[in-house]
Amino acid sequence: MSWFSRLKNAVSPRRLDHDLADELRDHLERRAAELRKAGLEPTEAQRQAALRFGNTTLIRESSREIRLWAALESILQDARYAWRGMMKSPAVEVTVILSLSLAIGANTAIYSILDAAMLRPLPIPEPNRLVRLASPGIEQPGSDIPDEREAFNYPMYLDMRKAAGTAVQLALIGYVNRIDASGPENGAPTEKVGQSYLSGDAFQILGVGPALGRVLSPDDDRAPGASPVAVLSYDYWQRRFNGDPHVLGREIYLETHSTNGMYQVVGVARKGFFGVEPGKFVDIWVPAMMYNKEAFTNPGWSWFRIVGRMATGTRPREVKARLQPIFHDYEAGIVKRIPTMPPAIANQFLNAQLRVYSADAGVSDFRRDYSRPLWIILAVAGGIFLIACANVASLLLAKVVSRSGEMAMRISLGAGRLRLIRQLLTESLLLAALAGALGWVLARTLAPLLVHLLSTEGSPVQFALAINSRVLLFCAAVSAVATIFFGLLPAWQAAGVQPMTALRGMTGQASRLRMGRFMVAVQVGFAFCLVAAGAAFLFSLWNLFSVNTGFDARNVVVLDVSSDLRKQDKNAQLAMMKRLQDAVSASPEVEGAAVAPWAIFSGSSWTDQVMVPGKGPSVREEIFYRVSPGYFKTLRTPVLYGHPFDRHDGPDQDPIPTVVNVAFARQYLGGENVVGKTFDRPEGKKRAHHQVVGVVANANYGSLRRGAEPIVYLPNEGASYFSLYIRSPLDVGSVVRTVERATPTVGPGVRVRQITTLSTLVGNTILREKLLADIGGTFAFLGLVLAAIGLFGVLNYAVARRTREIGIRAALGAQRAELVMLVGRDLLAMIGGGLIAGLIGSLALLLAIKSLLFGLKAVDPTVLLTAVGLFFVAGVIAAGFPAGRAASVDPVIALRQE
Amino acid sequence: MASNNSTQSTLDLLVLTILDRRGPLHGYGIANAIQQLSEEALRIEEGSLYPALHRMEESGWITAEWMVTENKRRARVYSLTRTGKKQLEAEAERWTNFSSGVARVLRLA
Repeated sequence: MSWFSRLKNAVSPRRLDHDLADELRDHLERRAAELRKAGLEPTEAQRQAALRFGNTTLIRESSREIRLWAALESILQDARYAWRGMMKSPAVEVTVILSLSLAIGANTAIYSILDAAMLRPLPIPEPNRLVRLASPGIEQPGSDIPDEREAFNYPMYLDMRKAAGTAVQLALIGYVNRIDASGPENGAPTEKVGQSYLSGDAFQILGVGPALGRVLSPDDDRAPGASPVAVLSYDYWQRRFNGDPHVLGREIYLETHSTNGMYQVVGVARKGFFGVEPGKFVDIWVPAMMYNKEAFTNPGWSWFRIVGRMATGTRPREVKARLQPIFHDYEAGIVKRIPTMPPAIANQFLNAQLRVYSADAGVSDFRRDYSRPLWIILAVAGGIFLIACANVASLLLAKVVSRSGEMAMRISLGAGRLRLIRQLLTESLLLAALAGALGWVLARTLAPLLVHLLSTEGSPVQFALAINSRVLLFCAAVSAVATIFFGLLPAWQAAGVQPMTALRGMTGQASRLRMGRFMVAVQVGFAFCLVAAGAAFLFSLWNLFSVNTGFDARNVVVLDVSSDLRKQDKNAQLAMMKRLQDAVSASPEVEGAAVAPWAIFSGSSWTDQVMVPGKGPSVREEIFYRVSPGYFKTLRTPVLYGHPFDRHDGPDQDPIPTVVNVAFARQYLGGENVVGKTFDRPEGKKRAHHQVVGVVANANYGSLRRGAEPIVYLPNEGASYFSLYIRSPLDVGSVVRTVERATPTVGPGVRVRQITTLSTLVGNTILREKLLADIGGTFAFLGLVLAAIGLFGVLNYAVARRTREIGIRAALGAQRAELVMLVGRDLLAMIGGGLIAGLIGSLALLLAIKSLLFGLKAVDPTVLLTAVGLFFVAGVIAAGFPAGRAASVDPVIALRQE
Repeated sequence: MASNNSTQSTLDLLVLTILDRRGPLHGYGIANAIQQLSEEALRIEEGSLYPALHRMEESGWITAEWMVTENKRRARVYSLTRTGKKQLEAEAERWTNFSSGVARVLRLA
């Protein structure tokens, strides 16, 4: 009986019972029929037939036992035998299981993030009908290729809804903001929550209903500021309110644009719905109408995404055709509003085509930034997996050779070769299953750690990493592939054992070595690619770290501070900011303090055109940054000419006292020492005049990758929310305490909102590179170690096999160096092939990842030489022991041995 | 099979021989053939044939398949496998050796 039908019998014995009953009944009926033919009465015929047959039940039982037990037994036997075999040499098995589970775990962990971030459809009905809108980024001459624009404005949204007709329903989906939330009473503790604005029909368009109360409805869209209601996510409701149904009707305070920030909870969204942006979970949704009033009439205010649900049968192309005319009108409107816009940029707006993408997996900034790095990491993990498999295969191959005597014995006793292969595959399956289970556990711990690597305090990344059938399937598939990859070869080898030669002690060593060498070459090839990629990522990160940023990020704490001073009173705000800066600077441990509307490397920026006397407005927009006196001293940016800002420089002077950096001075003012020169910038219909009072060294503003960009510094002005830089050797906590001692004295409601350091801010802009370097470096190391182990195994085996030959050579007078060279030649032969393949592979790989690297050439000799060097070291270490063994072979002992 | 008693192996030998000579047969046909061939000398309960058939099936000597037979009845039809054929040769040889040995003993004693 086939293996499969045995399994079927074991799993469903009922079928077997039917089968047996049918067969016995058939016999009885045939016998009765014949007896009837011979002239017996039908009842008598049946009686006789039963008599001749014997005890039917007993026979059925014994037959059933034979067939059922045999089925179970043969499987159990294989498994038991495999287990015994494993226990015999647990060291090998433990190595196998550990290296495999590591590889399976790493792959599964990375896949689970990929799955959650970009593959899995949103947990809503018919996600395949969702689309998202985007428009091409506007390219500034001399800048990087810009990201697509996904943010839209409200007037255009309204017009698009009208034009869409029944083809597509458009929902306004706000970006996920991290804001403060608290209970309604004064002084209640606050917490950060993920908040998002939604149009009233968004829930209905997405097909998400309430778990409690109601979701938002089109009624919430009637008038700006008219519906202060909030819908909680199921997750947040459970986490924050313990799933209390009385949360309905409760008031909560949200730090938003609404007049007093009070919202009434009207419902909880369905379980599992986290918004439409994987990676950023929403805790609280509020109606779009609660956003700033100005946003509803001003087309210059882009603040939300548009996600649509197409009618059945509609295609994205048709959606685009309907919406493009409106989109074009608004793009043309932008050109009209900015008269100084250079033609190169105006043309981009006028020719822009609306993009309509399928959005079944939602919308995501994370995907834009991380999809390539994650795929690369998965590929790297795949390389590790293959290396581990090759390693395991060669380990098992060695085991099979040591068991070839046993195999030969079994074959000569009549065991089928297929039966042997089955036995060995069962062993591999058992190994892979154990490794898979361990790998799964590993993946469940690794995945959250990986996500943590990508998170920053300001924008935490969160994924639905709960156990998921797709990921489980992936893990199982990877384990199964492993079984085939590392199990089949040794099994094949074992089944090919020739009993005669094997029993005489001439195990198929030559072919085993050939196979082993091939495995090692495979490992070397893959490992070399991994090492090259890892080295490239590490060098990139190193290059990024060693960029001369033009400021000293060490020991600078950055605090975001807010006050209750009214927005209109800029002068009072500015005075308060000065008081705070002075109070903090007065502390003996503080070396310097400065204030700015936002911190550098925080993602915020203000860019504008520059108008140099005698020339038209600049084609590029340059960075304008407001800073208080003391900024350059605090950040240690050298002032090269003139002087930095002092107390008398104010934002309202005309001309505005201005500091520029060297890049700006060279590009616009024709030299480095440009103190006293003037330039303008457009300010509505008028112009603002600037006069240079100082020139500072170039400094990076928002990215380490971008070289020195022109920057214009101008005096700080009042704001209700601003950043405070403090340089101090104290730790962050002490600095915060120093500031909080000062805050009550400087103004009403002044408090610290966010705490971070400049190094963290800078580091957050290279998270991707850090991730790649961390994981790429780790995997490269792992691959190198695995390859070295593989090399060692095969070389050691080769030396052991050639002990006699080496003994003879030694007896005939071969020098130690010559014996060592024997091993060395073997090593070179093995590494050579793999290295050449690896070199070609890594060149292709480096080209593919070029855009993620920094400061490296596509074919970078440093990277490749480092990789070759590392391999040389690993090879020497791996070969050292076998070579030493070869050199110390005692001819007398070696020749007596066999 | 581990425990081989003589009745069992005799029955096995008979079944294998019949399947070898007559080709695929269902259980009822095998039972009839045994009775015809041994001219009722071997009287066994017909039912006890079945556990033997199933045991041999598990050992891989014979295989079974549900088929529709001459009078449009479904029947489980057994046929000899290659392993079964080898087994038959081995058993037959053993049997001949054994019986000629016994014959010699009877003649010479």
